[in-house]
Amino acid sequence: MMAQGFRLIGESTPRMDGIAKVTGQEVYSSDIHFPNMLHARVLKSPYPHARVKRIDVSEAEKLGAIVVTYREVPDVVYCPRLVSTPEATYKDWRVLTGRPLYVGDPIAAVAAESEEMAQRALEAIDVEFEVLEPSFDPLDSMRPEKTSIHERIMYMGKEIKIENNIACTMEIEQGDVEKGFSEADVVLEREYRTNRRYHCQLEPKTAVVRPEPDGGVTIWTTTQSIHNTRLLIHEIFGIPAGKINVVKTALGGAFGSSIQTNIVVPIAVALALKAHKPVRLAYTREEDLHEHCSYQMIFNLKLGAKRDGKLTAGSLEAILDIGAHQIQAYPLLGCLVGWWVSLYKLPNLRYVGKAVYTNKVPSCAMRGFGNPQITWAVESMMDELAEELGIDPVEFKLLNHVGLGDLFWGQGPTVKSIIKSSGVEEIVRRGAKLIGWDKRPKPGEQRGRYRRGIGFGRGFHTSSAGGPVPGTAVDYTGAMLKVNEDGSFDYITALMDCGGGTLTAHAKIIAEEIGVPLECINIVRSDTQTTLYDVCTHASRGVYAGGMAALQVAREVKRKLLELAARVLDAYPHALKIRPDEERSQGVIYVEGVEGREITIGELASMARHKNWGTIAAVASVRQGSCPPHFTAYFVEVEVDTETGKVRPIRVVAGADVGSVINPKLAEGQIHGGFAMGWSMAILEDTPYDPENGDLMNRGFINNYKLPTPADLVPPDRFTVFFANTYEPTGPLGAKGIGEGALNPVAGAVANAIYNAIGIRFYELPITPIKILKALREREGG
Amino acid sequence: MRIRFKLNGREVEAEVEPNTLLLNLLREQFHLTGAKYGCGIGECGACTVLLDGEPILSCLTLAVEVDGREVTTIEGLAGDGELHPLQRAFLEEGAVQCGFCTPGMILTAKALLEENPNPSEDEIREYLKGNLCRCTGYVNIVKAVKKAAEEMAG
Repeated sequence: MMAQGFRLIGESTPRMDGIAKVTGQEVYSSDIHFPNMLHARVLKSPYPHARVKRIDVSEAEKLGAIVVTYREVPDVVYCPRLVSTPEATYKDWRVLTGRPLYVGDPIAAVAAESEEMAQRALEAIDVEFEVLEPSFDPLDSMRPEKTSIHERIMYMGKEIKIENNIACTMEIEQGDVEKGFSEADVVLEREYRTNRRYHCQLEPKTAVVRPEPDGGVTIWTTTQSIHNTRLLIHEIFGIPAGKINVVKTALGGAFGSSIQTNIVVPIAVALALKAHKPVRLAYTREEDLHEHCSYQMIFNLKLGAKRDGKLTAGSLEAILDIGAHQIQAYPLLGCLVGWWVSLYKLPNLRYVGKAVYTNKVPSCAMRGFGNPQITWAVESMMDELAEELGIDPVEFKLLNHVGLGDLFWGQGPTVKSIIKSSGVEEIVRRGAKLIGWDKRPKPGEQRGRYRRGIGFGRGFHTSSAGGPVPGTAVDYTGAMLKVNEDGSFDYITALMDCGGGTLTAHAKIIAEEIGVPLECINIVRSDTQTTLYDVCTHASRGVYAGGMAALQVAREVKRKLLELAARVLDAYPHALKIRPDEERSQGVIYVEGVEGREITIGELASMARHKNWGTIAAVASVRQGSCPPHFTAYFVEVEVDTETGKVRPIRVVAGADVGSVINPKLAEGQIHGGFAMGWSMAILEDTPYDPENGDLMNRGFINNYKLPTPADLVPPDRFTVFFANTYEPTGPLGAKGIGEGALNPVAGAVANAIYNAIGIRFYELPITPIKILKALREREGG
Repeated sequence: MRIRFKLNGREVEAEVEPNTLLLNLLREQFHLTGAKYGCGIGECGACTVLLDGEPILSCLTLAVEVDGREVTTIEGLAGDGELHPLQRAFLEEGAVQCGFCTPGMILTAKALLEENPNPSEDEIREYLKGNLCRCTGYVNIVKAVKKAAEEMAG
């Protein structure tokens, strides 16, 4: 089924916050400024693992600075991410610490009248450390003789002991794995190791906190969830939730790094409460690099298949390097197995996942939440397995893929639902045709300096963490819609737009459903005090889950409008229609076929005021009962320079099944951006550590952390994006998510393309020029 | 130190320290927050403004250097409520996502179109390579610059 008969859905419309963004008038949290505001700086551990023996802040205070140390902040152990229920939440964070666990761990903070004065005060703090033994590799960290990184953490209100630095584990077994492998004609087993990437959202983490006369605080910060920020500050500081107001500002990118409340927020709250003045804490890029990164993973993956191409069994052992703290390690162990089993049907399977502490920057979700990592490994192995079996990878993957009518594990074992729409066949077949899959070279046959290859990778991501039963992930959204007296509408939601144009999509859904021009919908700049709860903009849920709340209030408001109009027009509500009147910029309610029986929404709303009928409005808090996957397929052509080891993208063909496409140009933009991030995951990005000092080897920015520039990617005429004709029955007007599926299969497609070009497979990311040259030399000599 | 310069077409004066950065002067004294801090070391391009028409990194430029010269920020690009063709094209082509790189990207593109009114896609990609974007993969940005160039050529 495909979307039909829509007026706005499927048409490209400019994003509604666009004028503010192109004129420099958009307000990000880093732009918030108050005349009497103090500037904050944070004292951080120079050691990866240490204990503070002595700290003296008297010299800093003599300079007039407000200082807080780990001794003064509330003695509360918390988890900065509040998406999961208590059963799936482990707590091991404090606002400031006397036992730093990574280089950059905050120990104390200062606030002063200028950033320069704050820095001088910071340098005046005298600290003496006792240096402890660090661990940088999860395999090393698990050895029993290693020093504990956390001896005890909190779970469900009780202390639990941590053994061998293993933060949490998960094991799942279905069917008979040994029997499954014994039935296979071909079994492959490989170890894959991913990189540890940095989100590099362009806006570094920032918090501005203003203390209020009633003892509360107002907060402007880089967050993907204003409500979870409020809940966390309530949990740590005990301020009544109603007195904590978190105000929405534009977000300069996040990619998962602000699902959790960033550490700058509680630090700035502590300073502002002590200073009784507004405090701004804006991280520098170097500090931001020490605030978050993606999860590095080691997989031992084993797949077995029969000669006819049917998979018989799979086993996955995953070791996750989570860094010094848990942000969402346990939910990730669940999602990881969910992503793995939802790619291809495995009649027998075994999964063991371990999340391990190391003395490194805490890891968090990064666009895809483990899905890009496991999909890279699986798509690499499926390509290799297809070759062993002598079957075309396209056919092999289509034969085994999880599709229509199958059980989808969405966000892990507690979030399962049945797939009700799938465009997998369509996007894979059409993509293969567009790239010229049948004409691709045979792997490793080429000689000469430049060698080209085509690779295929497919994947998916969930749309929300909704489901038919509650599970361990919180997932619901609130929305309010009211009709103004001129026929315009105020739409109020706490849901954040991370840049995808999510709220413009909501406005389109509302305008489409009611039948009014898009410009009638005003997206209200809101805050926690005036909105219903929304969990977070993550899990590609903004359009699918958030959009459903928008749709429900639109339906309710429409019902009320028609009821009132029926009185005025002397007609039956169900016989009335609404048409957009672009000239008058509003909707007109009319009786079909009876001339002259019509009223504009503005006239009706004014009448409702004069006659004291009340405000025409609706409010809803909506939980989706499903989490449909959106699917993507990438065909990528690359060129490998065998003299420099550099890889260049030549052509990209990307097909996506996102259900109804709400805003095609912005949807394509998600694919373009997903490709860029996946491309650099495959060949560029990593954050290695210096074992000598335990710090990141990259302490600057792109001079050491490689990001693609416009010159490194493909021009528009060599990037083809197309969408499947599907309609998701549980989605708002047929829509699913897009943000993460846009990235997930890219690294696998690129790795397969490199194999196709030079006949060498790589089991460690990123596939850097050095690795390529080394492998070529080993095989070809020279 | 007192400096005088032209800011978005208007003569202005400011009292600055010898080490005040242009980015901070614009953001803190003139409250023009369109230029962004992205890295502070001249690598991301989010702080780009035009100095006598040339794109510069305001995070690496001392405020005193603009004395007697002309600075244009993103706030000075739209005239009398009319968007500049680049601003319009960025909007229409979906070249804006989170928007944090957008002001710098548009100003760099403006300098390009003044140097080369009809750039090829490759020339656009080459010229913009000092401005990082993490959202768009640059595809719609390149399309937008091309579209604006066509529109400006009439």
